[in-house]
Amino acid sequence: MIRDLPTIIHLDADAFFVSCELALRPELRGEKCAVGGRERGIISSASYEARACGVYTPMPTQRALKVCPDLIMLPHTSGLYGKVSRQMFDLCETLTPLVERNSIDEGYLDLGPCAFADGSVLEARVRALQARLWDELQVPVSFGLATNKLIAQIASKLRKPRGFVVVPPGTERDFLAPLAVGKLPGIGAKTEAALNARGVRLIGDILACGEAELESLFGSGWRGVLAAARGEDEREVHTEHEDAKSYSQQETFGADIGDFGEIERIAKRMIDELLPKIREDRKRARTMTLKVRYPDFTQESHGRSLAAATDLEAPFYPLVAPLLRAAWKQRRPLRLISVRFSGIEDGAGQLEMFAQTDEKRRRLAGVLDRLNDRGRTAVVRHGHQLGAKS
Amino acid sequence: MKFKINRDHFANGLAQVLNVVGSKATMPILSNVLIEADKDHLSLTTTNLDLGIRCRIKAEVKETGAVTLPVKRLAGIVRELPNVDVSFDASPNHSVKLSSGGSTFRIMGIGKEEFPPLAEFGDEKAYSLEQGELATMLRSVAYAQSSDETRYILNGVYFSFKDGKLSLVATDGRRLAVMAKEMEVPAASAGSIILPAKTVAELTRLLDKGAKVKINFNDRRAAFQIATDKDTSGLVDHVYLYSKVVEGNYPNYHQVIPKETHQRIKLERELFLQCVHRAALVCSEKANSVKIKLTSNLLEITAQSPDFGEAHESMAIGYSGPDLQVAFNPTFIMDPLKALTKDEVFLELKDEVSPGVFKTLESFVCVIMPVRLS
Repeated sequence: MIRDLPTIIHLDADAFFVSCELALRPELRGEKCAVGGRERGIISSASYEARACGVYTPMPTQRALKVCPDLIMLPHTSGLYGKVSRQMFDLCETLTPLVERNSIDEGYLDLGPCAFADGSVLEARVRALQARLWDELQVPVSFGLATNKLIAQIASKLRKPRGFVVVPPGTERDFLAPLAVGKLPGIGAKTEAALNARGVRLIGDILACGEAELESLFGSGWRGVLAAARGEDEREVHTEHEDAKSYSQQETFGADIGDFGEIERIAKRMIDELLPKIREDRKRARTMTLKVRYPDFTQESHGRSLAAATDLEAPFYPLVAPLLRAAWKQRRPLRLISVRFSGIEDGAGQLEMFAQTDEKRRRLAGVLDRLNDRGRTAVVRHGHQLGAKS
Repeated sequence: MKFKINRDHFANGLAQVLNVVGSKATMPILSNVLIEADKDHLSLTTTNLDLGIRCRIKAEVKETGAVTLPVKRLAGIVRELPNVDVSFDASPNHSVKLSSGGSTFRIMGIGKEEFPPLAEFGDEKAYSLEQGELATMLRSVAYAQSSDETRYILNGVYFSFKDGKLSLVATDGRRLAVMAKEMEVPAASAGSIILPAKTVAELTRLLDKGAKVKINFNDRRAAFQIATDKDTSGLVDHVYLYSKVVEGNYPNYHQVIPKETHQRIKLERELFLQCVHRAALVCSEKANSVKIKLTSNLLEITAQSPDFGEAHESMAIGYSGPDLQVAFNPTFIMDPLKALTKDEVFLELKDEVSPGVFKTLESFVCVIMPVRLS
């Protein structure tokens, strides 16, 4: 589809988690702060002031505190970021129904259906949205306006924070040419260094290469890279939410844990927190994988599948101890464990004959899910959590 | 050991015992068929230790004896021999010379001493049944067996001789089929076994050779003597099938058969099968259900898969109950319809979360659990 207006918008919230926290504590604005796990965790979001000191994500918190000793660490606020994200995209939907939620803090809008008369009207409306996001949510967001997703995405990241970059139709190639090759999606730091070594520094340099050279530089995928360098991208803005392929949770401990019973209890608590989410999405999971990480960051994981997918906790509990024994081979304390559910199936579900117990458990789980706000709070806990340290 | 035999009879006999031998036999001897020549016949025996089959075929025995040969290769060779007259000559070192017309084969065998003997039965519980009837009963329920190895108890057909009837039951936990037949069950002979799926398949295949089949069983094993009086390809006496049984307690299946009838409709079996089959053509692995909707004198079947499309079928029926809809895995509907032979079947439904029940006038029940409507 040929667009005569830059109707594809990429929006990217600036330092999203930190922005959400600062909205609650505006007095910290302008300070070097970061959201992340204390002591042994990692930085998941850093303010621009902190980034200026060399703090980046994901960086171990200990290292961040070394490079930036006056860094203010803010703990994760459970549930906050998802809520603000929903509000952010809901506001976007007041402008156009075609909103693709790519992740918690970025997405695409297609303003094609709005049929704006010209570029200036369109720009004004997007600027108004940017202002509204700040006024109502205190979340700074950068925008890229272009004729396709690729250009819009590169544009939005070009002048963060609070960027607003418009790439008028027909200027895509000129827009890209002077940018570093690393700006193209799929070209990471290593590839970029390798390309630089061979004299390809700017996206424009790719266009100057012959086919044979491109093939030797990028391998079989060279046609895709060439199309991207020309600013070509046919992807549509999808409003359908892609179904989750797995559900996982991990926890870095405040201090290494060497007690089998305690780790087992933490893993079971993770099961109790993940299954309500699976039920909420009307899915069932078949496979559980348990990962352990030692203090030196070496890790091992083991997984096992049930005979049939389920949306109940009970069938997974008996797998915890054997999986933990299989994964935790070295007799050393652990730094982190994670639990992951995969083999996700639709919940619509075939009913079983000899499963009266399951049906009772499902009814009970439904009640508990409502009491516990779908696993977000623990009003009623399973007995196996009695004696847990936290 | 020396004999002459008709090629087609020999091939037929080997075909009867061939399936027992798996592609990955644990011991070389289990890939072999034991051939024993005696008087005017041969005995051919194979076993995988869980299941064994022996049949007898006519032969012109010149010198009695026994040898074992790899059954798959031997069956392949015998089928291809050029002349209908085959002569078989085994030397004491277990090498066999097989000749027919202008072709001669020499095949290396193994001595009979290494072949594990089939268990013979003594004072077990014994019944005699019509072969055709047992085959029909097995076909009516066998599709409902579970193939999920973690539910091994369900990997077979349950035979129950009790309360003046024989009931055959199979279930995979989502559907259940029962076929019963009234017969005399002496108190001392009452009992039950779970016959493993592989044995069920072999038994069903063999049950067309004659009038009667005799079944013997105890807690650990079962044996079937299948008369061959209708066979015209050289089989004599009977085919003997021996099998271990699945050990364990079969679930209480009575509790899942609904006691009350709610809405009952009479269906033309073939027509209903065709409608469900057509509707199911749009189903996919992810969207594997068909919805059945009953309204006044109308049955509608719909199916859809989000990435392909949808299907709608309608059938006129006699129905005056309340509107009702329920979804099922189409295979669960089609399997019993395919296995049955009567023109009419009854389908009983209640609501979208209650099982559907197929019935015929001859003590057949198939309970199928619905798929929850989203």
